[in-house]
Amino acid sequence: MSFSRRDFIKTAGLTLGALTLPSWIYEAQAATNATIDVNKNNLADAALSTAKKLGADYADIRINRYRLEAVSTRERQVQNVSSGQNFGFGVRVLVKGTWGFAASPIMTAAEVVRVTGEAVAIARANSVFQRRKIELAPVNKVSATWKSSFQKDPFEVPVDDKIQFLLKLNEAALAVKGVSFVNSSMAWVNEQKFLATSDGSRIEQYLIRGNPSFTVTAADRASGDFQTRNSLIEAQSAGYEYIENTDWLGDIKTAAEEAVMKLKAKTVEPGKYDLILHPSHLFLTIHESVGHPTELDRALLWEANYAGTSFLTPEKTGKLQFGSKIVNFVADRTQPKGLATVAYDDEGVEAQKWHLVKDGTFVDWQTTRDLAPLIGKNKSYGCLHADSWGSVPFPRMPNVSLEPAKSNVTTENLIGDVEKGIMIFGRGSYSIDQQRYNFQFGGQTFWEIKNGKVAGMLRDVAYQSRTTDFWGACDGLGGQSTYLIPGTFNDGKGEPGQSNAVSHGCPSARFRGINVLNTAAKTQS
Amino acid sequence: MLLTEKESKSITDKILSYVKADDASVGAGSEKLSHLRFAQNTFLTSGQRESRNANITVWIGGKRGTSSTNDLDDASLKSMVEEAERIAKLAPIDREYLPTLGKQTYKPVNSYVEATANISLTNRAKAIGDIISECEKTKVIGAGFHVARAQTSAFATKNGNFGFEPTTSVSLSMTARTADGQSSGYFLRSHFDVARLDTQRIAREAVRKALEGRNAKTIEPGVYTVILEPQAVADLIGNIAFGFDARNAEEGRSAYSAPGGKTRLSEKIFDERISIYSDPWNAELPGSPSAQAGLPAQRIYLIKNGVLENLVYSRFWAKQATKEPTAGPVNTIMETTAPISTAEEMIRSTKRGILISRFWYIRSTDPRTASLTGLTRDGVWFIENGKIQYPVKNFRFNQSITQMLAPGNVEMVGASERVGGSEGGNASLLPTLKLKAFNFTSQSEAV
Repeated sequence: MSFSRRDFIKTAGLTLGALTLPSWIYEAQAATNATIDVNKNNLADAALSTAKKLGADYADIRINRYRLEAVSTRERQVQNVSSGQNFGFGVRVLVKGTWGFAASPIMTAAEVVRVTGEAVAIARANSVFQRRKIELAPVNKVSATWKSSFQKDPFEVPVDDKIQFLLKLNEAALAVKGVSFVNSSMAWVNEQKFLATSDGSRIEQYLIRGNPSFTVTAADRASGDFQTRNSLIEAQSAGYEYIENTDWLGDIKTAAEEAVMKLKAKTVEPGKYDLILHPSHLFLTIHESVGHPTELDRALLWEANYAGTSFLTPEKTGKLQFGSKIVNFVADRTQPKGLATVAYDDEGVEAQKWHLVKDGTFVDWQTTRDLAPLIGKNKSYGCLHADSWGSVPFPRMPNVSLEPAKSNVTTENLIGDVEKGIMIFGRGSYSIDQQRYNFQFGGQTFWEIKNGKVAGMLRDVAYQSRTTDFWGACDGLGGQSTYLIPGTFNDGKGEPGQSNAVSHGCPSARFRGINVLNTAAKTQS
Repeated sequence: MLLTEKESKSITDKILSYVKADDASVGAGSEKLSHLRFAQNTFLTSGQRESRNANITVWIGGKRGTSSTNDLDDASLKSMVEEAERIAKLAPIDREYLPTLGKQTYKPVNSYVEATANISLTNRAKAIGDIISECEKTKVIGAGFHVARAQTSAFATKNGNFGFEPTTSVSLSMTARTADGQSSGYFLRSHFDVARLDTQRIAREAVRKALEGRNAKTIEPGVYTVILEPQAVADLIGNIAFGFDARNAEEGRSAYSAPGGKTRLSEKIFDERISIYSDPWNAELPGSPSAQAGLPAQRIYLIKNGVLENLVYSRFWAKQATKEPTAGPVNTIMETTAPISTAEEMIRSTKRGILISRFWYIRSTDPRTASLTGLTRDGVWFIENGKIQYPVKNFRFNQSITQMLAPGNVEMVGASERVGGSEGGNASLLPTLKLKAFNFTSQSEAV
């Protein structure tokens, strides 16, 4: 039976009961896709029954729609306003312990049958040479719908409001003497994800996330010098209220002043410093030095050809001293505002929260259904994710967050105990090796600390360290009042490369005796 | 599934027929991507994705709006046009608007091979199966990625231009690790013709590097003479031709800006042994026949014998500067007019230096001097008195690219070969380089 896309939405709504989609989406889809057969439950039945008939031991189908809107400006002009949508399905099958996957944007039952056959053919061709069969940890059968937390749908906010907001930001930056250029932008993503598995699960999820940002540049044309200051506020799982309830104007005014200030700031003297890292900076250090090495696929060499492996290995679980005793990291796919927060992962495993590092000791991994059995576990932590209907789902990072101090330690308390140090704000240059030992991070602004007080701005700062040395040097954490949950919108991993959005909650934190270098130093002798 | 030229033209015509705006630029594309990923000497994921898309940018009274979709039915295309026009009506005037191009003539390039577009699943499975067998025989742990891609890209304007570009590419990258986890080798090559992809060479080189990299020693970081294999050059500066933006340079925010609001155009900024250019008709590395906004691409030099020959002007910035817009770049080719040296000659001439296979996780630290940080990976060897002495552990570097290629720092240049960046990016034609000084700032125990 053929359904229009309007029927598809209505049928889905009735079938799934609890799902409440905004009314605009019915209209938009019906208007643009009136004649396409997209009854997703029927399509799912076609995929799963075809896979079974062709000998697959397991199969799933994801039918996903992505909506995107982006506005970008520079100075007093709009560079681009774009909106787009992308719709299709991907079928994953397990045949003789070998994965196969195929995907298409053509939403008909005949195409689903053809594409499922292709996925099986790929798995079967490869299974002849397969050395070790893939096994899956068990999962509960689920029927559910879920919507991420947001108050104001950004796709309902007029484009003109977004343009005016960004131009107002730019004007505030340009009002500061010495500012030469300003770029600002916002991007919004809406994912509508449907998953059906041969285990019997049917799950529908609706997510919204936003990525506003800006860069202010101060150029000294006479000397040929220029400096930039990016926004310190990062992407979040949120609606347009994130624009309205956050002090973007305050941040860009400060950014403008700081970009100009950076031109005249003192260049850093390389050496050992105590570091006070603000959450707007520390989140990315957590991402690279904690989030990635605790991915089990890396430890098991699955990423050896691209992102790399990990200094952590299964036999170190529960034994390795990752950091000082005050360091606790939790993986959490339920964390409010977290970019990697979902109700279920892309193979129907419920979102969970668990410790990766407990009281300084490395205790656990990020896992999926095909990874968990390889370390003797009979359940997945739900880390499977694909960035598109056309991408093969694979292990991706949940929100990985540093727990704050239980007492009300302020950032000023942390600074007060530093004789010679640097406080760093914002995401700058970042680089880390393929096993996640050696890293180097820059930032947006750097402030010298002398005898417990902020003494002035520095520039050209980057710090280099080794992951366990660095976290072992952590001797102070801010309390809940210093805790923020910044995130990164596009974390790359895998082959073919995929992008993941993920957050890292953290308080301000203090690290003793870290090696700082000057990135502007003449490098050759 | 790939759109033909006729189908593409039909789609762009249809989109344009819905346009009420003053001006419009439209695109229609399709892609077929097929991959096989292996690790731990076993197959991981493998799949095929077919996709297509359409997009439009319109201008109404100089106001601009853009929209895209992957539904190519009539109603969706019409809706896409209406969405772009709705946005344009809300947008402020696009001060950088220039009328879209009228009909252009494109000299064709040969960059599409049917056998690459329709790769044989069984042949691919067998090729990778053979590589895994070789890994087992040599007692290394293999991981790799084989990917074949076919794409079509069509573009058209309301003012009468139309172009259609089919391309294919296939690549295999492979990492071999010794069983004790103490050594690792990597090799990557790509081509547009699957018959020209030598999968056995790729596997052989990755395994050789892993085996020869065993028992690596630790040496102090510092400034060393280095020999960079083409892969290492690709990782550092593989897309260097795309970094010569005139506007950034003239606005004072580029490594090619000069004090006093000037640029470094016509200065000898690199060693005279270095030339960098773009050529759409290179037989080994065909580029798009169309450059920015649909201008017919030309062969253009960015660096000629070390001299900054051209900065790249967008159509808008060219008009501001009363210059011609630049018809490129569309690819990166680095060559030398000096005598070509082999890697062996470079090693023989080195008193004390380091041979580097590959770099990883490269990020900018200072755009004023094009300074980068990153790490060596998968094969580093110490050279002394004209011979490779032993493998060494990895380093982190902090290095300005303008200093690295500066006059006097480039000692020898090899023959260019097609190689892609291991962290991503397009393939380029790049040589082995011997550089007098390169700055390593710390050690990394990563393998």
